[in-house]
Amino acid sequence: MADETRKPLLERAAALVAGPFLLGREALGLVFPPGREAPPETPPAPLRIPVTTPEHAIKRRG
Amino acid sequence: MKTRLPEHGPLETPRFWRTLEERIETPEAQQAAHDEFLPGAVPAGPNYDDVHGLPPQSGVSRRDFLGLVSAAAALAATVACDRMGQGTVVPYTKRPVEVIPGVANYYASATHEGRRVYPVLVKTREGRPIHLTGNDEHPGVKGKTSPRVMADVLRLYDPDRLRAPKAEGRVVGWAEAEAKLHGALKEAKASGKPVLLVSGAVVSPSRKALLADFKAALPTLEHLAVEPATGDAAEVAALASYGQAVDLQPRLDKAKVILSLGADFLNGEDPEALGAWGAKRRLKSANESINRLWVLEGPLTLTGTNADQRVPVSPSRLGAIAFALAKELSTKGISLPAGSDLSGIPAGTPAGIPPATWTSLVKDLQHAGRNAVVLCGAQMPAEAHQAAHLLNAMLGSEAVTVRAAEPLATVKDLEATAQKMAAGAYAAAIFWDVNPAYTFPRAAAWKDAVAKVPVRAWIGQVEDETAAQCHLLLPESHWLESWGDFSTPGAAVLQQPAIGTLYDTRQGEDILLGALKALGANVPESYHAYLQARWKKELPLGVTFEQALHDGLVKVEEKAAYLSIRGAFKGASVAPAAKRAAASKADGLELVLFPGFATHDGRHGNNSWLQETPDPITKMTWDNPVAVSVQDAKALGLEEGDLVTLSLDGATLRLPAVIQPGQAAGVLALALGYGRTTGGVAKGVGANAFPLAGLDPASAHVRAGAKLAKAGGRKELSRTQSHHRMEGRDLVRSLTMDEFAHNPKGHHHMPELVTLYEDQKFPDHKWGMVIDLAACTGCSACVVACQSENNVPVVGPEQVARGREMHWIRIDRYYEGELENPKVVHQPMLCQHCDNAPCENVCPVNATNHSSEGLNQMAYNRCVGTRYCANNCPYKVRRFNFLEYTAYKTEPETLAYNPEVTVRPRGVMEKCSFCVQRINDVKIRAKGEGRAILDGEITTACMAGCPSDAIVFGDLKDPKSKVSQLVAASRAYKVLEELGVKPAITYLADLKNPAVEAPVGGHHEA
Repeated sequence: MADETRKPLLERAAALVAGPFLLGREALGLVFPPGREAPPETPPAPLRIPVTTPEHAIKRRG
Repeated sequence: MKTRLPEHGPLETPRFWRTLEERIETPEAQQAAHDEFLPGAVPAGPNYDDVHGLPPQSGVSRRDFLGLVSAAAALAATVACDRMGQGTVVPYTKRPVEVIPGVANYYASATHEGRRVYPVLVKTREGRPIHLTGNDEHPGVKGKTSPRVMADVLRLYDPDRLRAPKAEGRVVGWAEAEAKLHGALKEAKASGKPVLLVSGAVVSPSRKALLADFKAALPTLEHLAVEPATGDAAEVAALASYGQAVDLQPRLDKAKVILSLGADFLNGEDPEALGAWGAKRRLKSANESINRLWVLEGPLTLTGTNADQRVPVSPSRLGAIAFALAKELSTKGISLPAGSDLSGIPAGTPAGIPPATWTSLVKDLQHAGRNAVVLCGAQMPAEAHQAAHLLNAMLGSEAVTVRAAEPLATVKDLEATAQKMAAGAYAAAIFWDVNPAYTFPRAAAWKDAVAKVPVRAWIGQVEDETAAQCHLLLPESHWLESWGDFSTPGAAVLQQPAIGTLYDTRQGEDILLGALKALGANVPESYHAYLQARWKKELPLGVTFEQALHDGLVKVEEKAAYLSIRGAFKGASVAPAAKRAAASKADGLELVLFPGFATHDGRHGNNSWLQETPDPITKMTWDNPVAVSVQDAKALGLEEGDLVTLSLDGATLRLPAVIQPGQAAGVLALALGYGRTTGGVAKGVGANAFPLAGLDPASAHVRAGAKLAKAGGRKELSRTQSHHRMEGRDLVRSLTMDEFAHNPKGHHHMPELVTLYEDQKFPDHKWGMVIDLAACTGCSACVVACQSENNVPVVGPEQVARGREMHWIRIDRYYEGELENPKVVHQPMLCQHCDNAPCENVCPVNATNHSSEGLNQMAYNRCVGTRYCANNCPYKVRRFNFLEYTAYKTEPETLAYNPEVTVRPRGVMEKCSFCVQRINDVKIRAKGEGRAILDGEITTACMAGCPSDAIVFGDLKDPKSKVSQLVAASRAYKVLEELGVKPAITYLADLKNPAVEAPVGGHHEA
């Protein structure tokens, strides 16, 4: 019965290799974190849309 | 809450009612009225009713309580130290010459929707357009405009706008995009293959000239102008009756009797008609003349709600009834135009019209003669339009003008174009500010056909269904960033930009000019120069182009452009139309497709202000349910919100149903412009009804043979008609003209008001308002104007369904009488600025208080959100920010804000302020000029936006002011006056002028 539910040999082998590999990569990532950019001195300014007055238009009042 | 229609109506029903539940007096409705707020608007919490007993021992110990208090204090201290939101204030080091910080600039400009032109005044602050009103110099609109135009300022700041050209899905520069377009056009010219250009209606003389230049440079150009929302029946009928496309403009100032055949001319789109309507309805005494509005229609329209006499009639029968009316009038001595033959129409009263009503209608029209007008709804069948043209010609009506117009392509023309595209006839196609991939009824066939065109370019603002089918996307500037001109009766109107382009966009005309240059034509550098050159040639002596820009228009002689209403009519067109009308009948249910109040043909679908403005009839927001008549709902066992399947000609929609009192039996009504598949706001809102439109232009939007069935399941409707109830009191008054003449106060007797408080003193001013219910049509222009002026947030459909909409002014729509054909009264409801305001007494922090000028004002930063004030307000006009609706908005959305009005955060109560910023603006200006404030100088946003001038604001301390005089009118009353809260708003009772049997037309006829 146990044989029927077991996965094919290839998949078991792949899991055997991939598991430690992924765990190891994660562990290495924790020990040697990828280079982070230094936090900027001031937060980046929000994107501003330039507002310009219309050319050639004539205002009624103001 | 479920609504099941009764088998037999209750013996006694409330005189006025807002919802079917109220009419039927279900226990749920009674409980809802008692509870005041929807469950969602009052979160569940502990019961504090037992104030005499000790607090319940809920298990929270004293130690836990103190711990929580300490934590809350620590948290408050931490939050208070937050540096978020602190920005740098930078002065204008290089201030533009035109801009003075803090001072608004106004520009005259214009826009159009279909053939209707809207001259506007644009208010800008620090260079940003923030508010639109009509151009007061224009002889037609007289300072008024439509709700959709007012809301169109938000489209300028739509974050979904395309900001740079795209080719094959990637962002490119204009040079590359234009090179591709110009290459395709040059190749087409060389090979002699046709190029297709599809645009909206052409109402601009300069755009027309430009298109003619384009045609001259590219002779194979085929241009189609399409306006899909209104249907093509009017176009078909105009060609038959006048031999050309025409534009009809009602002149209601000259009308004593108006007959509407499904025409919705009071729906807010036509400010000129609304202005004239209001002028005829704002009566000071019963001796003044009033008009009479007859309405024959299937779905209940806003015009139908304002009718003096309304008869529910299927649209398929309108033509036959109108031709029978013509025949009847011809027997009364009103001659038929030459060549007219009505022998195919049976004589006598048509079936379904009560004989007494028919006789009154015939007498009214006969009596009014030239002062009568017959108007037909754009989506009604062509025969009905032709009958209306015939009746106007017979009467020689002076209350409508007919002008030649540029023809529009019909759905049949589009179908032929699709077939040509499918056959590979076109070398290139340009779609300019149109969306046929969404509006063409057979979308799949259109998509297959378009795919056969080798080069497809799209000019528009927000990527839509048509853009998804195109190679080249050319971002178009908003009309507030563009130049243009329009021809209107009485004035040539100029459109000028009120702001420089926000993004790397160009106006469509400039893109065409670029193409013209590439094709070798000698044209000016820009459309501004093109327009200026044309105008300078045609300007009257002594008027400069700059002066015309300043005014926004040049007045012109009006009469020259009109066709003779009788002389131009082709009598030979009558016989075939009458034959078709007599044979017309609806098998099964009849579906009427009409332009959505918020969306029109879908072009405004991405505008959240409009999506959240309740539909004036159904009070729906954010959806387009199918409206079913009371009789059909009963037969099908439908309840409100039930999901149904609506099938016609192989197309099937699954959507919710609403039961609409007053809708004719056998008629279904569904709004167009919903069910979009693109746009951050529009996507997925409602169902697309265009697949149900027909391919016969004579009746494309009135379809027989619709099938409706329950689909199982329900949808929660985001509908506001049951919100903010004021339980069963004397809220709205409506008088007939006889009642107005003899007993204007009716049975309403004011109890003597006793107060323990001293009367308040108002040393300088006492601001007040009068709202004339007889002039108010319920068009909701005031709602949009207020939203734009006061930074009223949008909350979305889920919050609206919980009763949390934020509008400071709402229109309560009351029905009176029978479900099948009720009378309707619209009542704008806003903060009444009570002198003895119940909200002020209960505020624990004095956040709401009374000013020395009678304003009930809010200190937002003092409000702690107890909501006691909202609970104690008898008018239900206070709005609470349950969620954070504004803080996370960024540019460009924040550019639409009015800097004079605080943007309110979460947890704060808000309400109408009587536009205090406008009051102060005028006060400061008057003080600076050393003069007193003039009567009428201060206009609240709702007053300025109201096209029928139903709202008057002013100083009640000035006995000569208009508002003081109106307060003393015989129709005047105050809502819930018996409470003794002394509201500052006075209402004038609604007026109806029903036909009376004798004498003819009644003594109120002018």
